[in-house]
Amino acid sequence: MSDLPPRSSVKRWLVTTNHKDVGILYLLTSVFFLVAAGVLALLIRIQLLQSGGTILSGVGYNQVVTAHGFIMIFWFLSPFAFGFANYFVPLQIGADDLAFPRLNAMSYWLYLFSGVLVLGSFFQGATFMGGWTAYAPLNVPAYIPEFGEVGSFATIVALIAFVGSVTIGSVNFLTTIYRMRAKGLRMRDIPLFSISILVTVWMMLFAFAAYLAALIILSSDHLLHTSFFALETGSGPEATDSGSLLWTHLFWFFGHPEVYIVFFPALGALAEMVQTFAGRRLVGRKWFIISMALVGIQSFIVWMHHMFLTSINLEIKTVIMVTTVAISLPFDLMVFSLIYTMIKGKIRWKTPFLFSIGSLVIFIIGGITGVFLGAIVLDYSFRGTYWVVAHFHYVMASSAVILIGAVYYWYPKMTGKMYNEFLGKAHFVTSFIGFNMLYFPMFIVWETPRRVFHYDSGFTPFHLLATAGAFIFAGSFLIMFYNLFASLYSDRHVDESPWAYASSPEWAVSSPPPLDNFPGKPSFASGKLNFLDRAGTDGGAKSETATDGGVATGDETLAPPEEHADHASWWPIMVSSSVLFAGLGISGLSVSYAVWPFALAIPAFIGFLGVEGARQDGFALIHGIYVMVAFPLTVALLILFHLGIGIFEAVGNASPYFWVGLIGSVWGSYTLAGFGYESFEVPEPKMAEQWPFESVENTKLGMWAFIASDIIVFGAFVGAYIFTRFEYGWEAWWHIAEDPSAHTMAGQALEHHPVLPGLINTYLLLASSFTVVLALTAARHKGNYSLGPLTISSRQATLGFLGMTFMGAAGFLVNKGIEWVDLYLHQGWTFGVDVMSSTFYLTTGMHGLHVIIGMLVLLFLIARTYTGAYVGENEDAGTLEYFGLYWHFVDIVWLFLFPLFYIL
Amino acid sequence: MASTKTYTAIFVALMALSTTQAAVEWLGLLEENYWPILGVILVLSSLKAMAVAGWFMHLREEPRSVTYVALTGLVGVLALTAGASYSII
Repeated sequence: MSDLPPRSSVKRWLVTTNHKDVGILYLLTSVFFLVAAGVLALLIRIQLLQSGGTILSGVGYNQVVTAHGFIMIFWFLSPFAFGFANYFVPLQIGADDLAFPRLNAMSYWLYLFSGVLVLGSFFQGATFMGGWTAYAPLNVPAYIPEFGEVGSFATIVALIAFVGSVTIGSVNFLTTIYRMRAKGLRMRDIPLFSISILVTVWMMLFAFAAYLAALIILSSDHLLHTSFFALETGSGPEATDSGSLLWTHLFWFFGHPEVYIVFFPALGALAEMVQTFAGRRLVGRKWFIISMALVGIQSFIVWMHHMFLTSINLEIKTVIMVTTVAISLPFDLMVFSLIYTMIKGKIRWKTPFLFSIGSLVIFIIGGITGVFLGAIVLDYSFRGTYWVVAHFHYVMASSAVILIGAVYYWYPKMTGKMYNEFLGKAHFVTSFIGFNMLYFPMFIVWETPRRVFHYDSGFTPFHLLATAGAFIFAGSFLIMFYNLFASLYSDRHVDESPWAYASSPEWAVSSPPPLDNFPGKPSFASGKLNFLDRAGTDGGAKSETATDGGVATGDETLAPPEEHADHASWWPIMVSSSVLFAGLGISGLSVSYAVWPFALAIPAFIGFLGVEGARQDGFALIHGIYVMVAFPLTVALLILFHLGIGIFEAVGNASPYFWVGLIGSVWGSYTLAGFGYESFEVPEPKMAEQWPFESVENTKLGMWAFIASDIIVFGAFVGAYIFTRFEYGWEAWWHIAEDPSAHTMAGQALEHHPVLPGLINTYLLLASSFTVVLALTAARHKGNYSLGPLTISSRQATLGFLGMTFMGAAGFLVNKGIEWVDLYLHQGWTFGVDVMSSTFYLTTGMHGLHVIIGMLVLLFLIARTYTGAYVGENEDAGTLEYFGLYWHFVDIVWLFLFPLFYIL
Repeated sequence: MASTKTYTAIFVALMALSTTQAAVEWLGLLEENYWPILGVILVLSSLKAMAVAGWFMHLREEPRSVTYVALTGLVGVLALTAGASYSII
């Protein structure tokens, strides 16, 4: 199935799932965002030429500052690093590709389209204006100017889509690194860049989940007018202590690890470059790795050092100050390890090394000035000043500088051509001078207030200097772009490795590497990298390529075509594009007031499941049923909405957001159904190092990683509830809504907790969990079941149990619906009437959404089971098992929501 | 995979424990002794969660490393909730 078009074809780049192609797409796209956010940075610097500003209005400046932060951190730094990760991690660990290539392509397209959304938000009135930290209450509608509401919400939607991309990518890399290593490659022997990516994706998996929860809560405050971050009162919104603190907790629980998420891939690349150009193995390599892992863990217990000036108590501040100072210790070890490696080795002053040592200097300055901020007393003075701005640019931008070095380091590998060394060095010199001219003066005039363009006029010369530095720094990139572009067409060809002492496996294959990476099956079993005959992996070595010293003896690096080398697919880009349309539509909900295009997605999805199922598996009765059910469901929904709001008027006066939302939801339903049905087998490597997950299939490990991240998402919702409840007084909670005119749930609760609806739903969900297990048991059962005179095939039994699961879930939703209608409509206990109702509706609502998603997947599974999948000798019931994992997890969440929201 | 009999026993136990949680409230025990009973109810929920994870999600049969993946998420959330809640007490 070698239907992957050549690289000269545009189609190739739209359908590719190959990790190297995706890596290049990531790199190019992130450079585009670097330029975009860089231009914003220049605007900031021009504005700061004199106190009081020059060219931007106040509102314009706020937008520029905010978008600069968002785009640099999310759409440039991490994706730039993950461009390299995509390209090199499989090469470094001896894998043919990532574990889930098609999901990998989807990660990329989601990233791209989320970026389009965030850039588009500028043209939807105004983009978000509250800074990248988006502190409450400036992040809720009541505190956002009306013209900025749509664009602000579009930014939030873009961030949610971006988190989706990140989560899929994290699961993919985790599974790949644990399960796809070449034979003999122990975890500790993985090249440092790939190790740094492993630590990074672990942090990503958990940190971004907390951010996702925060963003969903924020969306709910925007769309449903819940009262998490500001209280919706009769006389207008009111900022609350608990709301503002809740945001900072959720945000920085993500935000601090995010700093290391951005920095670690660069650190890994730095270690590789230092090793290569010092011609020496990293000194204390083991301790370097342990330090990285330690920082990864510690990064989750330092977040409150961003909150020293909030009302949190002194005890916790002290604890956090200690953990913060402690986190600098592993970094010291890593820095000394790098320096000592340089001292012990013999340095080759190539461009990548210049960037490495330059960035190390920058990072040391950034690190030391950060420790100042970690001290509570000093932070009281430094907070909100340019000391902070200078510090984090020295840290964050040092990772950019390292990665620029990595561009020069890996450019010959990716293109097969050598860059121009003189221009590379010229780029380093100008960028290093520009960088320090730009950021160092900020330490001197640190009393300049952050995010404000009014400052002491005595500071003006320093700001002039910084602005000049900014232009030099920006200009230096032009040298690089020219160099890389011109070198592409030069005749400076390189073979496997242009670096004398490069030792990681990517340097043992040709440049650029062939589509399927290796000239044979890579193996480290003999202690060094060999390529074995692919036909029989137990056969002898076909060619042998030494990776130490670059004296490669492999003569043939162009691999024969492999049957699994490409998995060209249109679906990843199509699914992701629907997110763009749907996201645009959702962003305009506050002006289009039309939810029903999105509700239509459900019947549309059911109908498309029927259509796609018939196309892929051959028409069966079940497909007909799905299509037939989809129509009346659609009509019923339309009638419902007509009765509610009057469809003809609504459509007649519909805003463009309405139509874009409609397109997005229908297109999304179609593409998701198609994505699910596409036959897509990725053979798991038969011969691979898989500790510590030897007996866990790729998909199962991926599922568990996803569940671990979902634990954080739900946990953050529950945590938000517990935090808010503590803030209002745990036992006084039910008294919050003691409004005599409202017969609220709280009112009942004071009399008697409304346990019954929750208990019924617990029964229903537990039963549906039980039937999922039985469905799996039946699918793996050999032969028929006989119940007296009745004989039931295992397929029928599987179908029966899946059907019962669906019914259990449906019962759960109906019961929940009755409860909600009663509370919301009859008792007037609306979403935002108090914090109690907000936590109740959103947390149980998110759980309900999981149930709905599970039901849609169940419909897919039922159709597939009906047409012959999963059950029987030659069929793999794995998919049912993986779905079961999800479903049981949703069940477990409810086991805690039930007591927390109905009993206690 | 465990036997159908085991799954059924787990299911019955889960239903019984859920009923117990509700019964504790209906009997008015919670009003009398709020914090200890809160502890009991949450312990019961944890037991149920462990039963679902251990048997229905087959964690007992998987390598321990899979459990650690899930536990890492749990520890993260507990850190967030405990840290945030403690910070305002």
